[in-house]
Amino acid sequence: MIEFRGVTKKYPNGTVALKNINLKVMKGEFAFIIGSSGSGKSTLIKLILKEEDATEGEIHVNGYSVSTMGRKQVPYLRRSLGVVFQDFRLLPNKTVYENVAFGMQITEALPREIRRQVPMVLGLVGLSKKANVYPSQLSGGEQQRVALARALINKPALLVADEPTGNLDPETSWEIMKLLTEINHRGTTVLVATHEKTIVDAMKKRVIALDRGVMVRDEQKGIYEDESKDGQVHY
Amino acid sequence: MKVRTVRYIIKEGLKNAYRNKLMSFASIAIVTASLIMFGAFYLFTVIVNYNTQAFKDKLEMEVFLKPELDDAQVDRIEESIKANGKIGEYKKVTKEEAYEKAKQLLGDDGKVLEGIDASFLPVSFKIKLKDPQDSKEVVEQFKNMSGVENVAYSQKTVELFSKVSYWVRVISTVLISVLLIVSMFIISNTIKLTVFARRKEIGIMKYIGATDGFIRWPFVVEGVIIGIIGAVLAFVVTGNAYHALEVRFNADVLNMGADLFTFVKFRDIGLQLIGIYCLAGIFIGAVGSLISIRKYLRV
Ligand SMILES: Nc1ncnc2c1ncn2[C@@H]1O[C@H](COP(=O)(O)OP(=O)(O)OP(=O)(O)O)[C@@H](O)[C@H]1O
Ligand SMILES: [Mg+2]
Repeated sequence: MIEFRGVTKKYPNGTVALKNINLKVMKGEFAFIIGSSGSGKSTLIKLILKEEDATEGEIHVNGYSVSTMGRKQVPYLRRSLGVVFQDFRLLPNKTVYENVAFGMQITEALPREIRRQVPMVLGLVGLSKKANVYPSQLSGGEQQRVALARALINKPALLVADEPTGNLDPETSWEIMKLLTEINHRGTTVLVATHEKTIVDAMKKRVIALDRGVMVRDEQKGIYEDESKDGQVHY
Repeated sequence: MKVRTVRYIIKEGLKNAYRNKLMSFASIAIVTASLIMFGAFYLFTVIVNYNTQAFKDKLEMEVFLKPELDDAQVDRIEESIKANGKIGEYKKVTKEEAYEKAKQLLGDDGKVLEGIDASFLPVSFKIKLKDPQDSKEVVEQFKNMSGVENVAYSQKTVELFSKVSYWVRVISTVLISVLLIVSMFIISNTIKLTVFARRKEIGIMKYIGATDGFIRWPFVVEGVIIGIIGAVLAFVVTGNAYHALEVRFNADVLNMGADLFTFVKFRDIGLQLIGIYCLAGIFIGAVGSLISIRKYLRV
């Protein structure tokens, strides 16, 4: 589903954000990417979306060879996966319904299909009643659920989220996490970048830890802190 | 691109133009102003060209014969005019007609003619050429003909008219081009402000996998709508102004009894004007949008 082979990312200003990353996420997995601020989590997500290009190494996502594909191909890569961000990134001039429908319109889907699919996904995230409301009239948690609905509208095999609960209070964060788990149970691969310890610890999912651009840990059913270091906090 | 996508793009462009009322209004004002100036140059060129042509068509030469010729000699010259293939039509002005005309022209001073006989005046032929280009040649022919006193021909005026019309055309073309480029630049800057305000939206669209075309076309539609509205407004303004001017000017000139220079009738030029305005408006709007959005598509 996702494969990084010897990936290094060096920004034009000289910052090395990722160093020789080797990583494989299989179909149907749920994985966290953790690490302190500046450890390279967002950079890793950006490489998956081809918002940035790897300086070295090879990246494969959903069957696309991300490192070698042309610019024209990028929209198709992005459609093949769902993305969720900390700041929701909803279109402010479109209603909840229109925001979600937009995800299908870009694929030139049949209007009939759109009318059928959108209410279904809005139901899945529990927002059927807010369909005709604009994002500015929603709470943060609700906005993130709209973003999630939009990410899921094209039934992607992979969902990528960069700090999806970063702007939410703990309770709402749990709602979003529950939704992500549910989506994962339906067969979607989920990759979440976060630095929220409580969530990672409670979920007991695969944990990939980054420290200053280096992958320092990759554990199935991991927790946020590194157990091997006697409880010493190591971000 | 599928029909439903085209429909989406048009709807989205309309919605955006409406949503950004203030920006749209500013852009429309600029398009309208540029098109009005553009139209003024255009109309001026058309009028000058029209009058040059009309003047050339009306152009006559008058061949005056020596007053002492007898009827047989006059007939012989008339025969040679009839035989000349370069001459379209001609009219013979008899001594009596010339006398009447002179009397008319002199008006109150007609007394001067008292005691003068019509036989002192020459017979003349008013001649229209098939092609004004041949004028020089024909004039020479007549001048060398025996029995011809002189040939009146406004050669200089024609040349002047042609020269003026040529320069009006050149200057208008230059000014119109400059104006088009300037207004396109202003419009693309105005649209750039809208695009700048929406750069976040553009980024979001790219993140979820919209193609450049899908993002770009609604902006182009928006520009085209602005262009068309600007064109219609400009037409209303220039059309009315021109019509009012045309009626007054032509009436005034007719009062003077002259018809040397007239405004082209509005109904003969209106359709052409709105067509040109729409084309220019659409062009300005579309290209302005394309220029201003280019930068923001690189995400
Ligand atoms: N566009 C950029 N140009 C230069 N350096 C950058 C750029 N983006 C990120 N970096 C640097 O790369 C490193 C990794 O940044 P990244 O955003 O991936 O970290 P992160 O783990 O997502 O942090 P956070 O938890 O704060 O979001 C940081 O040192 C950052 O300053
Ligand atoms: Mg980050």
